[in-house]
Amino acid sequence: MTERASRLALSHAASPPGVLTPAQRAALFLSRIWAWVFLAAMVLFFVVAVPLTTGGSVNFLTVRNSQNILVAIIPVLLLGLGQTFVIIAAGIDLSVGWVMSLASVLSALALRGVFNSGVPLFPSVLVGLAAGVGGAAVVGFVNGVIIAKLKVPAFIVTLGTSFIVRGVAYLMSENTTVIGLPSGIRAYGNDALIYHIGGEGGGLYFLHRPEVSGELLRRMDIILPYPVVVTAFVVAWAMFLLHKTQFGRHTYAIGGSMDAAVRSGIPVDRHIIELYMLSAATSGVAGFLSTLRYTAGSAVIGDPLLLSSIAAVIIGGVSMFGGAGTVIGTVIGALIIAVLTTGLVMLNVDAFWQFIVVGAVVIVAVLIDQSRDLIMARAGGRVRR
Amino acid sequence: MRKTSLMAMAAGLVLALASQGAEAAEKLKIGFLPGVVDPFYQVMQLGVEKAAKDLGVDVVTQIPPTWGVEAQTPLLDAMVARGDLNYIITAPTDKDQMVGPLQAAVDHGIKVITVDTFLGDGDYVKGPVKFPISYIGSDNTEGGRIAARGLAKAIGGKGTVYINSTNPNVSSVEGREKGFKEEMAKDFPDVKVLGPDYNLDDANKATQQTAAVLAREPNLAGAFGTNVFSAQGAGTAVVNAGLGGHVQVVAYDATKQAIELMDKGVVSLVLAQKPFDMGYMAVMFAAADAAGVTSLPRRVETGFAIIDKENVKDPAVARFIYRVPGK
Amino acid sequence: MSEPLLSIRNMSKIFGGLVAVDDVSLEVRRGEVVGLLGDNGAGKSTLIKCVSGVYQAEEGEIVFEGAPVTFANPMDARRVGIETIYQDLALANNLDVGANIFLGREVKKRRLGGLMQTLDDKFMLKESRQTLDSLQIRFPTLTNPIEKLSGGQRQAVAIARAVYWDAKLMIMDEPTNNLGVPEQHKVLELIRTLKDRGVPVILITHVLPDAFAVTDRVIVMHRGRKVTEKITAQTNAGELVQYMVGAREDAAA
Repeated sequence: MTERASRLALSHAASPPGVLTPAQRAALFLSRIWAWVFLAAMVLFFVVAVPLTTGGSVNFLTVRNSQNILVAIIPVLLLGLGQTFVIIAAGIDLSVGWVMSLASVLSALALRGVFNSGVPLFPSVLVGLAAGVGGAAVVGFVNGVIIAKLKVPAFIVTLGTSFIVRGVAYLMSENTTVIGLPSGIRAYGNDALIYHIGGEGGGLYFLHRPEVSGELLRRMDIILPYPVVVTAFVVAWAMFLLHKTQFGRHTYAIGGSMDAAVRSGIPVDRHIIELYMLSAATSGVAGFLSTLRYTAGSAVIGDPLLLSSIAAVIIGGVSMFGGAGTVIGTVIGALIIAVLTTGLVMLNVDAFWQFIVVGAVVIVAVLIDQSRDLIMARAGGRVRR
Repeated sequence: MRKTSLMAMAAGLVLALASQGAEAAEKLKIGFLPGVVDPFYQVMQLGVEKAAKDLGVDVVTQIPPTWGVEAQTPLLDAMVARGDLNYIITAPTDKDQMVGPLQAAVDHGIKVITVDTFLGDGDYVKGPVKFPISYIGSDNTEGGRIAARGLAKAIGGKGTVYINSTNPNVSSVEGREKGFKEEMAKDFPDVKVLGPDYNLDDANKATQQTAAVLAREPNLAGAFGTNVFSAQGAGTAVVNAGLGGHVQVVAYDATKQAIELMDKGVVSLVLAQKPFDMGYMAVMFAAADAAGVTSLPRRVETGFAIIDKENVKDPAVARFIYRVPGK
Repeated sequence: MSEPLLSIRNMSKIFGGLVAVDDVSLEVRRGEVVGLLGDNGAGKSTLIKCVSGVYQAEEGEIVFEGAPVTFANPMDARRVGIETIYQDLALANNLDVGANIFLGREVKKRRLGGLMQTLDDKFMLKESRQTLDSLQIRFPTLTNPIEKLSGGQRQAVAIARAVYWDAKLMIMDEPTNNLGVPEQHKVLELIRTLKDRGVPVILITHVLPDAFAVTDRVIVMHRGRKVTEKITAQTNAGELVQYMVGAREDAAA
């Protein structure tokens, strides 16, 4: 074969293996953005249905409700953020909910201890943050070392540590709860950047809660509570880390092919340890924020959150086989769950329906992920896995 | 008596409001947010709904699937975000942690009535938490004392007894444990009290914990289950161990299972609370407050019905067994 | 003749009781394509893994660029310039061409006065394109995950990666396996391009036409031993097959 001929052969093969039909292309596109579409459709549904069923006395799309949803997604989202990295790297962290509980207890104990020894409130809160996130990171380090160095499956390791962490949190707390925290921290956990009172006698207030009562109080919207701001920073940082840095690139590489990552000289063991520390750390932030919000540390606070957080990650399009996913997807996943909860309450539908819908959405998410491969395969392309 | 006068007041209020309801410009809207799905709160819901019907107010009910602040708070926040509720009737799942989220509801102009469990120390006049209109529930410390006396009597005033409970830092069960221990220490020095173990509102776990204690303490004379799940678990464990009748069980909450276990001779005493009354009265209080009543008591104790083998068939007592019509 | 780039001297590798590689010596010179032939289980892959640092041989030595070397792991071998392309290519299929060529050796850009570092994807894409161009490999786009590429195209990515990182010696393990005929030709074409650039190649194969198409010399292994070494132009398929099945063996190959 002449060189020209062989080059022709390659360029022929190189035009995308099996060209997609417009229909396949459309299906593929839809499979990528379906979570956005689903979220939008759900919001639309509630926007229409909520006033209908309540005779117009309740609206879904209000400032207050939007803020409420932002607050509601915080724990699920923070647990899901670290999990996003771990699952993209083809791992799993089952300990996140209980690490959050431990962090809640640790931050409460540290905050209380430091404050009671005479340190002012704000530095005490920072110490609480450091204790919560630091303590969580230690658990993540242990998870990572056992997974990376001793080659025990992540599922087993994190299952084991979740039990251990749970026990430690119980023992360290005073009968599951740590109380007696300075009451000033409630402001950190519940106050906001902006307060807005619409209508007559209202106004816009920044960084401080206006002293109003009665009708004005009823009309007051609390916009961007501090925990939402903190969470937004963590999300922005996670997006940067995953999509813009070498750390993120290596995370994808490990999930795409562990073998390729090892042979490319990526320090895989160290990276895995860091991933589990990251996952624990974002859970730690969640625990710390819950301590501020509830003005108490709780050894059971994260109990119900593991499955919701994994559901958010999967709905957001992270592949359970690793190698694919985005941070914004997880945000969408968490939003879908929170919008669902809030919307159903507004419709006065039993909260249990939420489980059924979320469960169905999780399965649909995975089906869509698989159908993407199917479309590619039909078109003659390669199928991952 | 205080209780009768209260009831008289209630009756009067019902009539007054019912006649007034038609012309009220805006219908009162009340959110009902109990602690968890169980027969106790289901009966309370019946009371809430009955009162709502009688008084012509709207009720929005959400029941958390599991016990805990992380399950209860999102539902509470969503209720607040509706923006159309005037009152929220709730059983706080933690006496400290729920203060913040409920304060946020108050900040949005919603008034709070707590039922079954309270915030802070339950003293809304002098205590650390003052914003709820009222606490309507059992005098749980007294309930614990009654349970102690009942169990002590059943075991002949001496031996070892065990407490199985649900969650720490929940005002209701905490009061029951406290009253139970106090009474035993004061009047029954020969009774040794073990526990409490916390089952975190899980009957299976309660069974397991009680079974373990039975294995460890072969001479255990009695057990006290401080709520629906605890009593279920304690009773089941005793039955499974074949110790029915040998180990006396006192059950807080008059579920059908508890009564069945009483028929089998496992449970010797059942303390029926009055969740229907709590629910009904809370709605009534909300309506009264909205109507401008200013002298509502900040704390109302709804009392108990004490059920034992002798009186369980008596309709006057049996009506306090928690019965939820099938949905 | 020039100094050999790689010399393997009397190498043996034993697994338990099995002698997988038995006293093998060979040399590779610059600009030369050497075929390593043999049936399954002949010891080709084991020999090559000893050279690429995956295994450590019990006996023998490796001399690379005139100096004895030992490799504790694959990275050691890559550091001196020995790149091995296995059948599975060691590519991350979920990443694009540029990310794969720079995998593990990403180029970073300082931001905010060195406070943080971001990936310099633009630079990596540009360099990748240049390397592919120099190897006359053309893809319509470099920014899709390579799972969308064909087997031959991914083989090309793996080769481009090795070339970009200045491979001094390329070892390729059955590169034409599982490829369509046009793609096989292109891979062989790439091997010739490498040879033209002065990069020697050890081509492990059991496909004789491939060996005749590109190699200058062939070495045949059978049951762990090197049984012959021939100039490609001076042998034929029938002869090589006899060596491969063990029917013939040179006395002191």
